[in-house]
Amino acid sequence: MKKLLAHPGFRAVIALLLVWVLGSIFNADGTFFKWGTHRDTLRQMSTYGILACGMTVVIITAGIDLAVGSILALSSIIFTKLAIHLGLPAPVAVAAALGGGSACGFLSGYFISRYGMQPFIATLAMMVFARGVAKYVSQGQKVSTYVQQKDGSYAYVDPPAVMNFLNEGVFNNNLAVVTILFAVSALLTWILLSRLRWGRYLYAIGGNEEAARLSGVPVNAMKLLAYGFSGLLAGLAGLCQAAQEMQGDPEAGVGYELTAIAMVVIGGTSLMGGRGGVGLTIIGALTISYLEKVLSINAVGEANRLMLTGAIIVGAVLFQRSRRTA
Amino acid sequence: MRKHFMGLGVIAAGLMLGGCAEDKGSGPGAADSKAGGEAAGDKKEFVIGMSQCNLGEPWRVQMNADIKKAAEAHPELTVEYKDAQNDTLKQRAHVEEFARQGVDLLIISPKEAAPLTQPVAAVYDQGIPVIVLDRAVTGDKYTMFIGADNKQIGKAAGEYIKETLGGQGKVVELKGLMTSTPAQDRHAGFREGIAGSNIEVIFEADMHWLEPDARKEMESALARFPEIDLVYAHNDPGAHGAYMAAKAAGREADMKFVGIDGLPQEGQAYVQQGILTATFEYPTGGKEAIDHALQILQGKEVPKTLTLKSRVYTKDNISSGGEVLK
Amino acid sequence: MLLQMHDIHKSFGPVEVLHGVSLELYAGETLVLAGENGAGKSTLMKILAGVHFPDSGNIKIDGKNVALRRPQDAEGFGVATIHQELSCIGAMSVTDNLFLGREVSSVGFLNRRQQRKEAEAMLRPFGLDIDVNKPVEAFPIAVRQLIEIAKATSRDARVIVMDEPTSALADPDVDKLMGIIGDMKSRGAGIIFISHKMSEIYRVADRIMVMRDGAHVATATAADMPAGLLIRNLVGRELTGQIPAPPPLEPDAPLTISAQQLSVRSATRAESWLVKDVSFDAKRGEILGFAGLQGSGCSQVFLALYGVLGRLASATITFGDLKHLPRSPEHAIASGMAYLPSDRKEEGLILGMPISSNVTLASMPRYSPGGWMRNGSERQAARRHIEALRIRATGPDQPVGSLSGGNQQKVLLARCLETAPKLLLLDEPTRGVDVGAKHEIYELIGRIRQQGTTILLITTEMPEMLGLADRICVMHRGEITAAISRESATQENILAAAMGKGTDH
Repeated sequence: MKKLLAHPGFRAVIALLLVWVLGSIFNADGTFFKWGTHRDTLRQMSTYGILACGMTVVIITAGIDLAVGSILALSSIIFTKLAIHLGLPAPVAVAAALGGGSACGFLSGYFISRYGMQPFIATLAMMVFARGVAKYVSQGQKVSTYVQQKDGSYAYVDPPAVMNFLNEGVFNNNLAVVTILFAVSALLTWILLSRLRWGRYLYAIGGNEEAARLSGVPVNAMKLLAYGFSGLLAGLAGLCQAAQEMQGDPEAGVGYELTAIAMVVIGGTSLMGGRGGVGLTIIGALTISYLEKVLSINAVGEANRLMLTGAIIVGAVLFQRSRRTA
Repeated sequence: MRKHFMGLGVIAAGLMLGGCAEDKGSGPGAADSKAGGEAAGDKKEFVIGMSQCNLGEPWRVQMNADIKKAAEAHPELTVEYKDAQNDTLKQRAHVEEFARQGVDLLIISPKEAAPLTQPVAAVYDQGIPVIVLDRAVTGDKYTMFIGADNKQIGKAAGEYIKETLGGQGKVVELKGLMTSTPAQDRHAGFREGIAGSNIEVIFEADMHWLEPDARKEMESALARFPEIDLVYAHNDPGAHGAYMAAKAAGREADMKFVGIDGLPQEGQAYVQQGILTATFEYPTGGKEAIDHALQILQGKEVPKTLTLKSRVYTKDNISSGGEVLK
Repeated sequence: MLLQMHDIHKSFGPVEVLHGVSLELYAGETLVLAGENGAGKSTLMKILAGVHFPDSGNIKIDGKNVALRRPQDAEGFGVATIHQELSCIGAMSVTDNLFLGREVSSVGFLNRRQQRKEAEAMLRPFGLDIDVNKPVEAFPIAVRQLIEIAKATSRDARVIVMDEPTSALADPDVDKLMGIIGDMKSRGAGIIFISHKMSEIYRVADRIMVMRDGAHVATATAADMPAGLLIRNLVGRELTGQIPAPPPLEPDAPLTISAQQLSVRSATRAESWLVKDVSFDAKRGEILGFAGLQGSGCSQVFLALYGVLGRLASATITFGDLKHLPRSPEHAIASGMAYLPSDRKEEGLILGMPISSNVTLASMPRYSPGGWMRNGSERQAARRHIEALRIRATGPDQPVGSLSGGNQQKVLLARCLETAPKLLLLDEPTRGVDVGAKHEIYELIGRIRQQGTTILLITTEMPEMLGLADRICVMHRGEITAAISRESATQENILAAAMGKGTDH
């Protein structure tokens, strides 16, 4: 029992349970008990959750990736530009969006590993840069199914099938496709961190980079991998975002990196690196998303929402810390 | 071994770094393109400085596009654009730069009144005519103000909704950022418009002008209320997000959607596709600004204030260019 | 009597770590507190420093009962502690560190010039003539340690606790420290000195107090407790000799490694050499020692061989298929080398990870064929090492950070052995390790040697060097000044060569 109490996953689950209890009490005339509410929550958390998976990998190496929100926007622009405006086949558009995301991530990783830049600075630069590219490619406009023709008029085109597919539900519309993509991302992240040699190396780098280097861990290559993986998942999140909006938005994803970091940290993964895992991140993501949902179905006012969310985040982290030292 | 802990607040500071690219308008300032047959009489060329507070919103991108389009018809005009990226001090610097550069006329769409009143007055005192677009500055040290009235538009929307629903029904209101004046006016106007009817606002939430947030809030409303007759959103992306939520729940046919802004590639397109029942144009005033700029430069008298007429676009009138509101 | 701690009990959770320990310290004496790691010395000293509060028992200073609830209380009563772990703030200047918490100020503004002058005066007795405006991290560990000692002793301290103060110091610096201890004693201060080095203990001690398993074992004057008795008290059993004598080398053993013209450039100053044209070779099963004072370049030789220094290092070597220095530690390991860094916490272990992961870290490809982890075989390997090296742990999943220093060091050695190296580079293999564990590590080194592994060894402990090494290369300022065989090596001729007086034997 004592061992169970000390396990970080258990502490994270308690925070989630508290949010659920909150939801059961303030259930908004039974809304909280409808499956639709939970399906929606799981769908809404998916884009953030996918970003948080990549962020988990980066944070475990004692790094940080601030660029994911911007990469998400860039990916959504690449995807919609190719799939809607140029009418290219879906696999090409998807590959280009994922490739663009990974390329941005690798570039951050390159500057961090090759030139020893602080991850904070390198990814901050990438955050600004990727946003700029997204705005440049889209010319600051949303890329929608309403396409400007050569003569200046606008015409409506059908959204490509892949976007409709990503926006739909499965199992009789009881689960969203993006939720499944989130689950797949989490699974991939788990395999990377817990089943592959690379994962062990990533933890070692976060735990003690110098010791890892002296033990023959290819530190630079692993950092490249971590940021590239985060970029890839940010690209995937961009696809989900575009499909759910039926358009590419160069302003999408502003501030998403903070939500992703919060999900990772509330789950119990340490910002100091070397500790944590994607399981904790899923719990953290659920906690934040359900909190948001409970506040939303009760139509709590904006000011109160912000104050409550801030207080609960601090509370959750304090709760975890107190148990850790006890 | 380097370890770092970062305060999330620092990221916010980083966000402000923004991109640094400035949009240089490529106005067709061809010197010898046409003989003096133009109404201008003399062949003098004019340089107009356009200080835009933020190009992050499609509506403001549209404003610049409208100015550009209107100016293209007058080869003697060269328009230079600057984007302050939502930064008051940057915009102030832009105004001062334009004045030092000696533009013939300044068009400014200010971010906020108080801090920009004095710099604008200084330009005006220097003898450079100033047209203030969309948002006002205080005092009277400017040549002309062109803008629309959000409260009137909100009221028109309210009255339209009252009529459409036959005086009764359940309405969801998705508000912009309630700390911003446009949202406050669109809210107050709407309430004024539906006053005295049996229309009940059953759910209202702040969606920060953002489509993903609007979709989230709408999902909560859908989960909670089995019966919704109409969604009124403070902007078209918000209405579109609400539509996407309803569509995912299979309930989009049960309700109507009304938005504001009426940009060609957003609101107007949504009306054409049958997504929105109506959208109320919030005119950018770009064309009017250029028209009056010409008059000012030609020494003609212009009114101190011009309140722009809004249009309503519905399925019936969209092909004929909407209907001007009374 | 200066200090009296009486019947101190202390528990952490359900575990009692001190079972009624008493300690007495007189003015003008040095009391050596001896005990293996985990004997309770550190806890007792932390109670004295106000870090922990005892469950029962009392503390008297100058005959008056005192309650030391916070470190500031202890400081107020004149108790100063020099910790084993360096506690200077690396990025701050030497002056700022020395005056941290008691800045010299006038009307709230720092009086920097005054502080600088005082700082220089504080460091002068240690022979430290350094730029006190530079950040502490710009100096080598030995200097940092001296700064720390200067900081502690300069405050009007009457009880000074030194927890292994010499672990990073070379002999001349140790001499200076001994001089300062003498000064302090004559001023009437009492010193509690913790050390694992036998020679040092008898050099400094007036009295020796031995603790074992949280209890007091014996206290006697140094003369009444000779080394044999001390060791018996420490480990509770008789140890046969300090270092087991190695069997002779096979005369015709082949060379494992030969290095010609090994040079290391300074990363910060152009045209400056940390190591210049060093050549050596070592046979199969030979232990080649590298001795030298601070800045001699011994450690740089190891780092160069292990591929850490990259383009800064150059050499022609013959080691297996290698003709040049390895490109990276990864390459070095793949070529058959293993390296045990001197600073196990900063450069060696990943403290939050379990024993098993630490043991296999350098041999991952073997435990993850095709990139997929085999956790089972990994833990098996860890169990094997736990048994073979007698690592005292609950199992392969125990985090390394919770082990004692000696057991941590064994885990680090296990990692080296797990790669089955042909050449093992040991930098200070027994630093911060208690007597019992030290002995086990010596035995282990003997076994490794017998299996045919060639060992290069750096150690600042002279008896260790003399007892283990078959040959000793002595370095001075980046060059080898002497190569001395086991038979002719003495403390004196090594020190002479280390100070630049070249002799060949």
